[in-house]
Amino acid sequence: MIRVENIKKYFPIKDGFFNNKSGDVKAVENVSFEIPEGEILGLVGESGSGKSTLGRAIIRLIEPTEGNIFYKNKNITKLSDSEMRKLRKDFQIIFQDPYASLDPRKKIYDIISQGIKVHEKMDKNSINQKVEEIIQDVGLQKEHLNRYPHEFSGGQRQRIGIARALVLNPKFIIADEPVSALDVTIQAQILNLILELKKKYSLTILFISHDLSVINQIADRVMVMYLGHIVEVANTSNLFSNPQHPYTKSLIETAPQIFRKNKKKTLLKGDIPSPINPPSGCVFRTRCPNPGIDCKGGNIEMGLIEVEPGHWVDQCCANCN
Amino acid sequence: MNSENLLSIKNLKTHFTVGESVVKAVDGVSFNLEAGKTFAIVGESGSGKSITALSIMGLLPNNLAQTERGEILFDNKNLIDLEENEMRKIRGNRISMIFQEPMTSLNPVYDLSFQISETIILHQKKSKEQARKIAIEMLDLVGIPEPQKRIDSYPHELSGGMRQRAMIAMALSCNPKILIADEPTTALDVTIQAQIIDLMQELQKKLGMSIIFITHDLGVVSEISDHVMVMYLGNVMEIAETSELFNNPLHSYTKSLIDIAPQISDEKREIKVLRGEIPSPTNPPSGCVFRTRCPNPGIGCKGGDIEMGLIEAKPGHWVDRCCYECNQT
Repeated sequence: MIRVENIKKYFPIKDGFFNNKSGDVKAVENVSFEIPEGEILGLVGESGSGKSTLGRAIIRLIEPTEGNIFYKNKNITKLSDSEMRKLRKDFQIIFQDPYASLDPRKKIYDIISQGIKVHEKMDKNSINQKVEEIIQDVGLQKEHLNRYPHEFSGGQRQRIGIARALVLNPKFIIADEPVSALDVTIQAQILNLILELKKKYSLTILFISHDLSVINQIADRVMVMYLGHIVEVANTSNLFSNPQHPYTKSLIETAPQIFRKNKKKTLLKGDIPSPINPPSGCVFRTRCPNPGIDCKGGNIEMGLIEVEPGHWVDQCCANCN
Repeated sequence: MNSENLLSIKNLKTHFTVGESVVKAVDGVSFNLEAGKTFAIVGESGSGKSITALSIMGLLPNNLAQTERGEILFDNKNLIDLEENEMRKIRGNRISMIFQEPMTSLNPVYDLSFQISETIILHQKKSKEQARKIAIEMLDLVGIPEPQKRIDSYPHELSGGMRQRAMIAMALSCNPKILIADEPTTALDVTIQAQIIDLMQELQKKLGMSIIFITHDLGVVSEISDHVMVMYLGNVMEIAETSELFNNPLHSYTKSLIDIAPQISDEKREIKVLRGEIPSPTNPPSGCVFRTRCPNPGIGCKGGDIEMGLIEAKPGHWVDRCCYECNQT
């Protein structure tokens, strides 16, 4: 459904009186992947790894610096704004913070129906019908449509955010940390709702999260991102039972668990480096628990290789192992 | 009462008056904190975890909050009865606290040297130079590299993990008996969270303080704590040793939390759900406050006729009476 080739996103840093460019924030570096129709692809990484930038770049909410994006085998990278606008209703985003992503001065009805008014020529009755249908699909009632966002709890607001995303019958959804701001009991409700609606509306989803255990529950396949690079891709059960990259291993070992099978914990030292000046070669080498000789020198270029069918890992680590 | 108990809280009630209504944020909490142990308080937002902590610290505004009845016994004194100037000698010195968001809890206009020294000068009557020396030692202790240089940094120059380390350094600078940590790792990335948890465990071994660890994450609880208290809507649902609580939960809320908690497993699991949302604390359900969300409430609970109160089901394992009786029948 979506294919991304060598996408890059650099944000220029401007400095001084003449706004001269003094460097780049290398947010996303040479990322390629595909999402087949009907899949939930998990994207996991720490803050600053470029997850959200990547999510926005593939639907051109921010323009990628380089690379190509294909939607249903059509290259959409160079489409004009007006052509892109027609496609927009196929792509929707669910945001992290349900407090910040709903306009506090609009009623729920207006928030949900705005997309229809922009994209479709529908008469008032059919708009009403559509909005009422969708609000019930997300587990709220018709009566809620006349209220304002502040009258709802966090979980209910996230349901409204989901209703807004689904009202145009999109094909592809980017869920950007949709449950991170919610309590555990509400988190489970929303995850379940997303799975239900995925079936009902036959959606394809890119699910962005920093929480491996959430990804583990919901995703079919997982990409692990670190400092702008994808360091490992595999289907969910493979990634968790047989992680190859030391970053993935450490993420799995350090995720707090009630019932932990493996008591071993490999702590990563330090913080994620600045994307303005990332380490040469393998970007993970400064935090790697046991880097090889070549990695330490930073001589190995980054790039994924396939270690078993469908399981890709960065070549530096694949060779080390 | 056990002689090893460092802090003993009995029937603590903190109520807020908002207009005409009363918000029962903490409504009858009792627990004991043993010396050198970690006691976790777990619950959803709005369950009263933080208000319990702030009540212990005496940090709630008097005009709004009434810490009505109950006792907070520390050092043979009831902290509720203490005058403000006496409380000030304890706060930050014998009992100190770290918070969730290190960016908002550090003062952005002062460097670390000033902020850490302040407590040392105030409580330990040291000179500025001595205090600065202690502050540098503290930064070294919490694993901040190049402490001599970092001591002059401002909070914005540090990463989230470093800021939380600096907060811990500040809290521990007077060698307190009790450290209250209110969601100290929630705002951090997983790899940094693991570092901070590791650090706190190491420091506890070295310095021997007791920790009250507040969190909503059961996974973190199982990593760090000796005892756990589960709270819901201002009430205690269950208290037990950590492994006992996870292996043998008695309250249906605890059971649901454990069922729901996202677990990493090799196979895909069905996502379990607890219906509904936490009710408003201005108008809590009568009787057992959890009954509106309980997956299988008994007849007595449904009617709201059973008063809340803990029962010791097994030695050291306390559970709310309502659920205990339900399980018996």
